[in-house]
Amino acid sequence: MRFAAFLGRRAVHSIFVLLGLSILIFIIARIMPGDPARMAVGARAPQWVVDNLREQMHLTEPLYMQYLYWLRDALRGDFGISLVTRRPVAADIKEFFPATLELALFAGIINGAGGIMLGAISAWQKDKWVDNVVRVISYLGVVTPSFVFAILFLLLFGMTLNWAPTMGRLSQEIARPATVTGLLTIDCLLARNPAAFFDSIWHLILPAVALALGGMSQEARITRSTMADNLSKDYIASARSLGIPGSVIMRSFLLKPSLIPTVSILGLDFAATLGNAFLVELIFVWPGMSRYGINAMLRKDLNAISAVILILGVVFILTNIAVDVIVARLDPRIQLGAGRSE
Amino acid sequence: MFGKRCLWTALSLLVVVALVLPGCAAPPAPPSPAEDTPAPPPPEATTPPPPPEERVFRATFAWPTYIDPAVGSDFSSTSSLVNLYDSLVFPNTEGGVDPHAAESWDVSDDGLTWTFHLQEGIMFHNGSELTASDVAFSMNRLLEIGEGLAYVFLGTVDSATAIDDSTVEFTLAKPSGLFLISLIRLYIVDEEEVMANVVTPGPYGDKGDYGKEYLLTHDAGSGPYTVKEFPLEEYLLMEKYDDWWGEFAENAPDEVRFIATTEAATIRTMMTRQELEITDQWQTVEALEALDEIEGVDIIAFPVLTEFYYMVHTQKPPTDDIHFRRAMAYAFDYNAAVGLEWAGTQQSQGPVPAICAGFNPDVFVFKRDLDKAREELALSAYADQLDQYPVDVHWCTEVPAEEKFALLFQANMADIGIKVNIVSTPWMSMVEEGGALDTSPHIQTTYVSADFPEAGSLLKVRYHSDAAPTWSQNEWLMDEALDKKIDDALVTVDEDARYALYRELQDEIVELCPSIYLYDQVQKHAVQSYVDWPPARGEVIPVMGYTMYTANIGVTGP
Repeated sequence: MRFAAFLGRRAVHSIFVLLGLSILIFIIARIMPGDPARMAVGARAPQWVVDNLREQMHLTEPLYMQYLYWLRDALRGDFGISLVTRRPVAADIKEFFPATLELALFAGIINGAGGIMLGAISAWQKDKWVDNVVRVISYLGVVTPSFVFAILFLLLFGMTLNWAPTMGRLSQEIARPATVTGLLTIDCLLARNPAAFFDSIWHLILPAVALALGGMSQEARITRSTMADNLSKDYIASARSLGIPGSVIMRSFLLKPSLIPTVSILGLDFAATLGNAFLVELIFVWPGMSRYGINAMLRKDLNAISAVILILGVVFILTNIAVDVIVARLDPRIQLGAGRSE
Repeated sequence: MFGKRCLWTALSLLVVVALVLPGCAAPPAPPSPAEDTPAPPPPEATTPPPPPEERVFRATFAWPTYIDPAVGSDFSSTSSLVNLYDSLVFPNTEGGVDPHAAESWDVSDDGLTWTFHLQEGIMFHNGSELTASDVAFSMNRLLEIGEGLAYVFLGTVDSATAIDDSTVEFTLAKPSGLFLISLIRLYIVDEEEVMANVVTPGPYGDKGDYGKEYLLTHDAGSGPYTVKEFPLEEYLLMEKYDDWWGEFAENAPDEVRFIATTEAATIRTMMTRQELEITDQWQTVEALEALDEIEGVDIIAFPVLTEFYYMVHTQKPPTDDIHFRRAMAYAFDYNAAVGLEWAGTQQSQGPVPAICAGFNPDVFVFKRDLDKAREELALSAYADQLDQYPVDVHWCTEVPAEEKFALLFQANMADIGIKVNIVSTPWMSMVEEGGALDTSPHIQTTYVSADFPEAGSLLKVRYHSDAAPTWSQNEWLMDEALDKKIDDALVTVDEDARYALYRELQDEIVELCPSIYLYDQVQKHAVQSYVDWPPARGEVIPVMGYTMYTANIGVTGP
């Protein structure tokens, strides 16, 4: 019951957040320099073509009316026509979002698993050489942007060693399965095509690892810090004095309470990855939504900008809700929405 | 407990695999036929893999690519259009045109009616025959939509009519010396196929969307290649049209893949792995030098119809003073500017690139001469007030290489006491600024390309008053006498007479010193040595898109 109330409250809050976000991005997109209609039809198109397009897009009407038109259509799932791809934005999102989602999910798995494992090892071996190595690597990971890793991997594993594919989601010689979910790995499995499945996984590795390393390093540092702190608590000393093996202490008493801040950051990292994957997608010619969104901004593709930002907003909200639920599961002392309900 | 242990083990394994795999494993081998046999091919599979012996040509391009002839107009779009569609005439390496879908043509004495006789037996990719009605429809559709390459014909073509199945007639609003060559930009679509795929309602009345949505990812052409697959933002895959009426080069590719990236590191990797045959034209000098070091890769450079201009505002103080403008033209170090570009780049000789037909080789060319610059500056009305009249130079943010030329200009002008403010300006802001006399800066630095290999097409957009409120002209000359001469030249159907008028115009324009002419652009590509590319042999069709006409390209590797 409490969980349902929590979800209900968050849903209502989310509507207001999304509404505010849509107004904000709608205004920002329209005050950016450049006439979107002129940008869409090109610098050499006659003025009547520009004027016609402006009229079709309601750009001749006051800003609040433009917003109301947009909101009315958006509520029906119609985000308008993209000025760059020249087709419905909804169709673009349907095609590009799964590619980025798949990349972000894969990166998230590497990020979470790697960060927690490295952090745990580092905390368990605190101040020993393993800890020092992990900390130095984590520092490097945190300060290095993901696109630098992407270029390094591309040049090292792609160009110099020729070990990994460098572009796209699937090799040219592999048949592309029919789109069902848009997540290529899943679609390959649905099509019972193991060669395509492994090829798609193979294509995911370099961009996903490049995307994950920064977050993974951060998660490792947070996990280490929390875990090292918990290691000095009395209940751990008590468990040790009872002769409980270290591996059992780690799994049963230490890991769960130490993961709470890590999970919170992991959730935010995952949501941010969807928007920040632009350069990695560019380098690996990954047809994802992040690249689509940046292209839309550079070309003042108003409808695409609004839709992409809105979808990122939805992902952030959903991720935050999921994180709250997971954190509450990890620590029973934390109650969902307790601060407001009691 | 068991569940937790499993989770822990699984997570650890996943991380180890993810981190170690890129460094330890070998790439998966292409699936052998034996591997494919056990799993039946999914019935939904959209792209069967090509047989390994097929010749593939892969090039990189800047996205977006529009394959609708009434929408596309940039490099990647025109490169696609020339492969997917036929046109009435085809440009040749001499700057003229050869018969193509039209085998002959006639022009009326007044130059207003052009009649074209089509070849018989040209088949669209869907199997129907190309007729005069398709040609007329293609022109009318282009004019009605008004986007893409329509500007080439708008204001010139009054109507297009099919006289019979093999004869089409164009009526012009005024005679045009450029009309014949402009027809290289009329790509013929299959009327029936387009109209069968219109979406209604649409912005074009009873024609709905005029087939724009369909032609976004499909072609309705008769050219040497046809669209096989087109995932937007990823690549355009075309396959050879075996029933094409023309002649393919020996070893012409069976498949052509235009890949949507210009990222230097990605391209370098792909060239090294021989996953790419030719690079786009947007690679920097530094990137090309790195590509040149790859074994089996050559850099091919050739002049194109593009010139780099410093467009000087002639109505705004202090650049409204001709002596001030001449002082700047004499003070600029052209040799240093050319040295910043690819080896072989030449200083421009006046307002049109040297490869344009009608170019005047005897036009006056400014060279750096500080004494003359100071003499001219002394004659200017602003000689004693230079501090009060700084010159704003707006360069295009999206072309970072322009900044070094702006810095050079700033340093050169400082030598004669002119203060220069350099302003990085996004392209669309430049377009907006150029729309009004007051908002146009003192100097705008821009590359402008001729639509056709003829001087008139460039002189019109660069110096005619009609083009003054556009990005292609910052000079605001607004000279009626000059306008009339440009118009007279363009309506002159006789080629020699027209070229003579172009040459006179170039002399007159340079005399007014409205621009500083930096260099004729050299188009540069890195190409695999197993590609037989006509420009590498010096056979360049100097019209945007035609260097990527893959029916003329041979591929013998990798």
